[in-house]
Amino acid sequence: MTNAITLHSLSKRYGARAAVENLTIDVPPGVVAGFVGPNGAGKTTTMAMLLGLVKPSGGSGRVLGKPLETPSSYLGRVGALVEGPAFYPALTGAQNLAVLATAAGHDRSQIPGLLDLVGLAARGDDRFRDYSFGMKQRLGIAAALLGNPSLLILDEPINGLDPAGVHEMRGLIGRLASGSRTVLVSSHVLTELEQVCDWLIVIDAGRLVFEGPASELLDRGGANLAVAPEHPGDLERLRGLLTAAGHDSRAAGDHLAVAINGHDPRGLAAALNRAAGEGGIVLAELRVTGASLEDRYLTMVKNGGDR
Amino acid sequence: MIRSFKAELLKLRRRRVAVVATVGALAFAVIATTAVFLSATQTAGPRGRGATIESLSGAGGATEAFALGASFVGLLVLVLFIANVAGELSQGTIRTLLMRQPRRLALLAGKMAALLAFVAGVLMLAEVLTVAASAAIAPSQDVATSSWFGLDGLGEAASDYASALLGICAWALLGMAIAVFVRSIPIALGIGIVWAGPFEHILQDSWTSADRWFPGLLLESLTAGGTDDVAFGRALALVAVYVAVAVSAAAVVFARRDVTG
Repeated sequence: MTNAITLHSLSKRYGARAAVENLTIDVPPGVVAGFVGPNGAGKTTTMAMLLGLVKPSGGSGRVLGKPLETPSSYLGRVGALVEGPAFYPALTGAQNLAVLATAAGHDRSQIPGLLDLVGLAARGDDRFRDYSFGMKQRLGIAAALLGNPSLLILDEPINGLDPAGVHEMRGLIGRLASGSRTVLVSSHVLTELEQVCDWLIVIDAGRLVFEGPASELLDRGGANLAVAPEHPGDLERLRGLLTAAGHDSRAAGDHLAVAINGHDPRGLAAALNRAAGEGGIVLAELRVTGASLEDRYLTMVKNGGDR
Repeated sequence: MIRSFKAELLKLRRRRVAVVATVGALAFAVIATTAVFLSATQTAGPRGRGATIESLSGAGGATEAFALGASFVGLLVLVLFIANVAGELSQGTIRTLLMRQPRRLALLAGKMAALLAFVAGVLMLAEVLTVAASAAIAPSQDVATSSWFGLDGLGEAASDYASALLGICAWALLGMAIAVFVRSIPIALGIGIVWAGPFEHILQDSWTSADRWFPGLLLESLTAGGTDDVAFGRALALVAVYVAVAVSAAAVVFARRDVTG
């Protein structure tokens, strides 16, 4: 199946400064792809190039199978929110959507449904200038959904939202990703996205540092399961039981650390618990420790990547 | 282009916009008519400018206040178009539109066509209201109105409307070009107002032929349907050249420039 997005050595330079440098990525269709990197990493510039707003200095790419050089050939199937929601302050939310739907040649009858989807049904007739920041972001999402696009590109949709807004937006992104739609969503904070993304692209200083399934990034993080018996005196016996069951472990203070090594953490935890129980040891602690996804991301960004 | 034309019209087809436009047209009619009729003299003033009782009693008398008044609203139109286009560019709404209509020149052309169509409608309303106001004030100033409402009067009205519309379209397109080049509302407004206001008029004081060459002064002559110093044809030809150059350059910049911020 054709990738939703394919970029090959894409670059954008502003004078001597490279905003994006030789970026090569492939986003499979139907995934929620987190596009992560520190502020100034080149995320927005890359998205702007995908949307025809910024012209690349070099490289090539395809979006939904169409060449990057002709954005008009694919933008009808792409919805986007880039660099924050920009609407006409004096128009209502519904009127703003009507202007965009008309400009794009989309059916305006979908507007009430979209306002309902993003939780603005009751405020659709209020002026945009009277919206809170979270409402403006949600209107931006509704605008991006006009025409039921195959690809959604959302630039920092969670940025600036309060905790409740972040939770709500994550849920909304999850709902938008249902079906065959591909979602490319950027953030400079990985923890905001790790719950909804099944694909990750990490860039730093305009260069790719990681691309692949989110679980792969976790595997590379050296995560462990911490296992502690109810009675500290049982620590060595527990270690022997786990070794006999085929699980290498090492002592780490009052508990044992078992490397996850690509296993499903929940499945591994169940196996360790079973082995301990069969040996008559009650576990007082069983949890994932070690480098989190965020730790792994921060390490990669600092080190310049290890794709 | 049709889609962006319709999208722009959606923004203009609102009650608030209609009320503001109607009040503006009414204010223009009252102010222009009052000023022209109360200042009308028995004989023509220096350089042939200003209305006389005789000219107001002629076939074009009903719309003379409209024609003279329209020559002063060019700056207002310039300001409005600069604010509109520079606002779209600086506030990011043009980015939102371009993600929906990526054919940039079609987007800009449709938007300008809708705005100009709206201006043409408001201008028509202003002319009708000016005729009504003129008919109301004429008896008090001993201005005969018997020749206003014949075919000649209709022809004069159409001619005055066409001159005003041409001039205002030129002001609007030049305003759009300045906005595209500069993008910032305050800077674009500063440039537009200084250029069209004091700058050319100061030069005119020291160079008598300035009104034959400078775009702002030529536009004033065009909107007034020509003056004793600058014939309508000359004003139209030179303004067309200025506008064509400005619009072409703006189109190239708009089509090629990265849309950021």
